[in-house]
Amino acid sequence: MKKLLVALCCVAASASAIAAEYLLTVTRPNTLHVIDPAKREVVRSITIPGDGVPGTITVPKDGKVAYVLTNRMESVVGIDLDSGKQVFRADFSSPGKRIKGFFAAAVSEDGRELYVHQAPVVLGRSEYKVEDTYIAVFDTADGVGAKPRRTFPAPRRISLLAPTGNKDHLLALGWDMYLFNTRSGTIEKTFPIRHWDRPGLGEPDVLAMWGTFEQARALSTPYFVAKTDAAPDSAEAFKAGIAVFDLDTETLKTVEFENAQTAMFSSVVNPAARNEAFLVMNQLSKVDTETGKLIKRVDLEQTFYAVNISGDGKEVYLGGALDKIVIHDAETLEKTGEIMMPGGADQSIGWLRVVKR
Amino acid sequence: MKAQMSEAFREGVRDGIRDAMQCGARIAGVLAVAMGMAGAAHAANGDAAAQRLIEAKCGACHLDNGKLTRISEMRKSPEGWDMTVVRMGIWHKVELTPGERQTIVKYLADRQGLAPSESAPYRPLTERRPNMQDTAPDEEMAQMCGRCHSYGRVALQRRDEGEWRKLMHTHLGQFPSAEYSAMGRDRNWWEIARDQLPARLAALYPKDTPAWREWRSAKHRPATGSWVVAGERPGWGAYTGTMKARAAGPDRYEVSYELRFGPGNTVRGQGDAIVYTGYEWRGSAKLGNEDTRSIFALSPDGSRMSGRWFLKGADEIGARFEAVRADDAVKNELVAVTPRMLRNGATTDVTLAGVALDAKVDLGPGIEVVEWLGKSPGELKVRVRVAVDAPEGVRKVVVGGRESAQTVAVFRRFDTVRVEPAFAVARLGGGTVAPMSAQFDAIAFLNGADGKPGTDDDIRLGSVPATWSTEPFDDRARHDEDARYAGHMAPHGQFVPSFGGPNPLRRGGINNVGNLSVIATVADGDQTLNGKGQLMVVAQRWNPTPLR
Repeated sequence: MKKLLVALCCVAASASAIAAEYLLTVTRPNTLHVIDPAKREVVRSITIPGDGVPGTITVPKDGKVAYVLTNRMESVVGIDLDSGKQVFRADFSSPGKRIKGFFAAAVSEDGRELYVHQAPVVLGRSEYKVEDTYIAVFDTADGVGAKPRRTFPAPRRISLLAPTGNKDHLLALGWDMYLFNTRSGTIEKTFPIRHWDRPGLGEPDVLAMWGTFEQARALSTPYFVAKTDAAPDSAEAFKAGIAVFDLDTETLKTVEFENAQTAMFSSVVNPAARNEAFLVMNQLSKVDTETGKLIKRVDLEQTFYAVNISGDGKEVYLGGALDKIVIHDAETLEKTGEIMMPGGADQSIGWLRVVKR
Repeated sequence: MKAQMSEAFREGVRDGIRDAMQCGARIAGVLAVAMGMAGAAHAANGDAAAQRLIEAKCGACHLDNGKLTRISEMRKSPEGWDMTVVRMGIWHKVELTPGERQTIVKYLADRQGLAPSESAPYRPLTERRPNMQDTAPDEEMAQMCGRCHSYGRVALQRRDEGEWRKLMHTHLGQFPSAEYSAMGRDRNWWEIARDQLPARLAALYPKDTPAWREWRSAKHRPATGSWVVAGERPGWGAYTGTMKARAAGPDRYEVSYELRFGPGNTVRGQGDAIVYTGYEWRGSAKLGNEDTRSIFALSPDGSRMSGRWFLKGADEIGARFEAVRADDAVKNELVAVTPRMLRNGATTDVTLAGVALDAKVDLGPGIEVVEWLGKSPGELKVRVRVAVDAPEGVRKVVVGGRESAQTVAVFRRFDTVRVEPAFAVARLGGGTVAPMSAQFDAIAFLNGADGKPGTDDDIRLGSVPATWSTEPFDDRARHDEDARYAGHMAPHGQFVPSFGGPNPLRRGGINNVGNLSVIATVADGDQTLNGKGQLMVVAQRWNPTPLR
């Protein structure tokens, strides 16, 4: 463990020269893993204090502290990746109120603020009372025991948050995509998804629970939608598509690329070829988001929920399920490597993030 | 007389408590008054103990100025109350011994239960019949409620609008994923649940109903006595027999059974039972070498009982159960006829079970009793000859001049065989969960008057012996070799599933799920018939609940 610490510190020291990439993932019961994808090995496993199960991982640009949503979605814990120490902790709930954050947590790019979409329920003496959802803003400098510095109202059932290139903006994915101004606490713009008005298409179904947008700075998600002008029993009746939100230009693009025939749970955009996206569940699919064509698809050895990609766009990382991360070539989609979680630990619904050091 | 006093006493206590609660008095004080009025009757002691228990265990959260909050605002079936009590243990760490749990459930189900007419539409759910899907009043109710649990769980409760709304808050408060999962995320689930459903549910299932008022004030006949019983256990066949219930305390019984499945297969057993809400019989018994549970309902007049018994820990394996009280008021009450299918030209031994049966049997035209094999009031055994030209089809059986609801069918040959259930689910075992098997039956049918199979006029002859096999249901199942991995058919039509967990031998490391056709092959004279059903073998269910 000490060796890794030194390794990471050395890497950090020479970050400006050659940025190395590390993968982060989490496993049950409450462990954060740092993985060297080049060496195909877990270089460090850090026990997160308190109860699990960890899921969301969000890291600021400097890659120093990983913020993990855990404690049954009721806490975010910040772990210093160099020391392995807990440097931040926000426990949302109190004896009279249970507050869950459903996957949607994001740290600002400068690492100063942490945003969490929260769903509170007041635990009264003999009844519960569900309250409206909101986004809570934490100051990461508040460290362990942090409380929200401010909150602003947000629609229900948001599942992903991402900071955009505008430091005052935060993108939230729920029924639609909402662009929040974190200073004013207002929605500046809504990008319709559920409420889009596209003739011949119904309301798309989106279940985006894995945020992987750091490499191409594009938040993407697969979706499925009924083609209302097709015969219900025809192959055309349901289409699969991908929604891509460019976090720098703050624009949304949606494209259907095939008749729905397989489930896909998450996706990532290739930073080296931004028209390419990779989607995963039981297959790994490569899609051209410009032409709306499926480029290639391979069966996988098991189900994977989370997908990420190397900064050079050459390797695709698949994880988020069972005890294995696999690496596939982005061109051929052939498997080129695998990394096992220590002790067969289950990644469950864990995220897979890349940090550059 | 004693029963009347006891009932009147209970009424008095109930009304006393209600009045006292309104003026803020404590339960214990009211009880002391009530007991002084009527004497320390057996049931009253139990009531007082139950009230003290509820006050002690639930009062910390639910007693407000001497009034029970929430608890007093709803009515439920015994299983509904039991699930609530168990949840309070899981969610709020309420610690109860098994006896205390039963006391509380009994007390609440008796005073805030459902009338027979209210629980009747959802007996299949209450009885835990396997492969049963209940129906909701409309698609929205099915999606809002029935996508996560049976709709019957809802329909077996009674609340007013405000209390239904509180239940909605409990739902999302406790199960926050409800608005993220399929058919929750495609709509404003919470707003619909909070703003629209409570009024709809209160209109469908209100707390106060004439049916309940009437049932609550009526006197109910105890189950004590002898019963003639009959039923059918898929995989084993039909049975007739007797059940004797002896009082063992208020609404409590010691029970003995004798079930005759056929020559050489008589199952005897002992057990006990509690009757909730005046008609909801819940029993346990050792029948032969099997531990069983029973869920029966007494008819409102107490003359009949019907339901299902099943194996403890494997409720998918069980039997239908019908019973008629054997008392002096009943004459020529036929409960069962076995076998129920008689072949043209054949001589067959037929058993008729019932109450106070006269040795006078009429099975309709073309069926002649050629020999009496047994004549007792509870069971008649006759050897019958069916004429070659006896008309095919169903006829009602007449005993002692009284036409019964029991039928026999005359047939020449089977026209078709169907597998029942046509669609079944089995579950893999693993971890802390035992596998859930699926029991199939091969049922012979006649085509009926139109001569076409699969139409409404087909005549159901009954269960017939079959040999069993499975096949992949479709190309995908064939490709993934589902039939190899998912489990195997036992000779009597029971599918025994494999264990769960990722299987490295399978594509994608998937577990031993499968989509299979279940084939019954039936020999009928010189013809062989096949019936086909579908079986989905799926993952474990981790939260087995009394009401699915």
